[in-house]
Amino acid sequence: MTVAMKVEASADRIQARKRGARAGQRWGNALFILPFLVVYLLMLVIPLFKGIWISLLEVDMLSNSADFVGLDNYVELFSDEIFIGAVLNTFYFVLISTPVFIALGLALALALNRPGRTGATLRAIFFGSSVLSVTIVTLVWKLVLMPHHGMLANITESVGLPSLSLLTSETWALPTIAVVTVWWIIGLPMMLFLAALQQIPREIYEAAALDNASRWRTLWSITLPSIRRTVALVAIIEVILQFQLFGQAQLMTQGGPNNSSRPIVQFIYEAGFRNWELGYAAAASQVLFAMMLVAMAFQVWLSSRKQAY
Amino acid sequence: MTKKSLIKSIVGVALAAALTQPVAAQQETEVTLSRFFGSCEADYGSVADVTKARGECGIITALVNKFNTTNELGVVVKPQVAEWATYYDQLTARLAARDVPTIAVMHESVLGDFVARKLVEPLDEGFEQVGIDTANFTEQAARGTIIDGTTYAMPFDTWAWLWHFNLNLFEQAGLTQADGSPVLPKNPDELLIQARQFKDATGKPYFGWITAGESVAPTRTFLTLVNQQGGELFRDNGHRIDMQGKEADIALNLMKQLWNEGHIKQGLDYSGAQQAYLNGDVGINVNGTWVIDNFVAASQKAGSPLEDGYTVVPFATLYDQKAVFADGHSWVMLKGGAKNEKERAGALAFLKFLWDHNYEWSRTGHLPVSKSIIDSEEFHSLPFRTNILEISSTGRTMPSNVARQRAVETIIGEEISNMMLSDKPADDVKQSIEKRVNRLISK
Repeated sequence: MTVAMKVEASADRIQARKRGARAGQRWGNALFILPFLVVYLLMLVIPLFKGIWISLLEVDMLSNSADFVGLDNYVELFSDEIFIGAVLNTFYFVLISTPVFIALGLALALALNRPGRTGATLRAIFFGSSVLSVTIVTLVWKLVLMPHHGMLANITESVGLPSLSLLTSETWALPTIAVVTVWWIIGLPMMLFLAALQQIPREIYEAAALDNASRWRTLWSITLPSIRRTVALVAIIEVILQFQLFGQAQLMTQGGPNNSSRPIVQFIYEAGFRNWELGYAAAASQVLFAMMLVAMAFQVWLSSRKQAY
Repeated sequence: MTKKSLIKSIVGVALAAALTQPVAAQQETEVTLSRFFGSCEADYGSVADVTKARGECGIITALVNKFNTTNELGVVVKPQVAEWATYYDQLTARLAARDVPTIAVMHESVLGDFVARKLVEPLDEGFEQVGIDTANFTEQAARGTIIDGTTYAMPFDTWAWLWHFNLNLFEQAGLTQADGSPVLPKNPDELLIQARQFKDATGKPYFGWITAGESVAPTRTFLTLVNQQGGELFRDNGHRIDMQGKEADIALNLMKQLWNEGHIKQGLDYSGAQQAYLNGDVGINVNGTWVIDNFVAASQKAGSPLEDGYTVVPFATLYDQKAVFADGHSWVMLKGGAKNEKERAGALAFLKFLWDHNYEWSRTGHLPVSKSIIDSEEFHSLPFRTNILEISSTGRTMPSNVARQRAVETIIGEEISNMMLSDKPADDVKQSIEKRVNRLISK
């Protein structure tokens, strides 16, 4: 047997073993993802379809009695001015809070992306509020914002301005909730941006320094393009999170005044647990799901276009 | 120690634990108690002498402690405390999840919804066994807990909507009588004149109302004003609300005028309204019976703006009829809550204990529900109780045939708050109430 024949025979054997190995392990490998699949099916897929089914029923949550009503819940929803208001509020909230999360998160990350104790301490402080529960955060801020006796009132009154009542103002209630939300969970975007910044090779900055590039030019031409995937990631995470605004609004304003701060999740909660209309609540949940899906798809499409460019 | 003896020791300890554990478990019957009224373990967690407790939270905590230490049945009551604003949401979720407490506190206005869905145990037989005499229920309590001849709850109190006065400020405004009691307005015009006089003299608003963060408070004021005019809001056997009557119009306009003229301190939520009153920033705090004891305590504190200057009366009668919004707290046993006969017996024993201690609960400020206690010298000697005794006959709630009363109260209150906080026109408010409430109760 020549060397060439030996090599060929050996290659055939390896090929056969590989084919056999693939065929033998194909189903066995699936076991590794089985636990995830089971949990995914039980916790996400089945509830999703069950939710869609419930939205076609009129269900009394207390007695658990149900009648099939088709699309009536959806028709009723779109003529419900409280629901329409909640949809608009939710979009408004996402619109005002997401850019702040990106801009402020990035600014903090840029400012604190340095070695040393001061940087580490400040990073811990800014991330610290994220570990607090929504109850604590809203309680603290209600004390700050309390008309006449809160910290803000003390400040405004000390400089001769009238006491502000931001949570009872139709114009300011939702932006105030946005401020509280940003204060609460700005830590996560900051950390994500910090991680991204630390991945940028030093050499690029050194080259830019040799070229005498200004700090602004370095930021614009090196830093931002290098972290654009993280910007997209933060934007997607924040849109998903802020569409689900609930605790802050429920605890600080209860959706008021005049429905100006009621988000969709609060509407769903009230329909289900206060009014006991589970079918109606499920229909509103499907609308929220569709909205989030569209927003996500749009964002993914947008970020993929930018990368291609 | 050898390996063998070590194994022996471990087995011995495990056996001992296994043998003693069931005995301990057998001795104790656990009764879960779902309630609001707050949590005050830090102050009253170990207090079993009820006479030393004050306020709703203190007294109910001490009552549970006393029952747990004195009952001879081996029953241990485990309170499960929820914040009151979300109490029913949580209870609904627990029922849906089949995590049913043995006993739950329930407003009498809410009871009908649970009875209609057959979620509450009838209690007549159990009451007979433990010796709770339903004939001793006050008229108001019986009306709230006995439905179609069957008793579904043990009444705990009757509460109502009151005016809590800062007499020191009223005296400064020249609005007190010779005996020191406040001059009460007898009609809306007198009310406005008094409020203006009060503001001129003290520079402070007449009222501290809850207008933010809690929706039911404006409803209670509104329903009181409507009832005082003899108005009826609900039609078609409780399936429709009609806001077009002149009584609703008059009530809304009065509330709006008081707001616009600055006679109601603005932007107050529940705790803000309490604080404003205790700080002496308003003349009258419109709130329920449950704060009487706390305000009495504040008036006994040296240096407090309320020092020796507190009194309370039912919401002043401004129209033809005496009427005030009233409701009551009661205790129910939910179906599926008691897992066995022992737990059921334990729960009934606890209800009997609460019934026997109804006087202690009435120290909070609520009216007792036992005729023998409400007529007793002991109760009459509590501060200001004679001022509010009339509630038992003038108290009015929503008609019992109106379903989902908690949601209805919230919607009405939200819309009235919109009128004050957001300048929503009264006609739009009426229209929104009709649209939102009728969607709920017409089904």
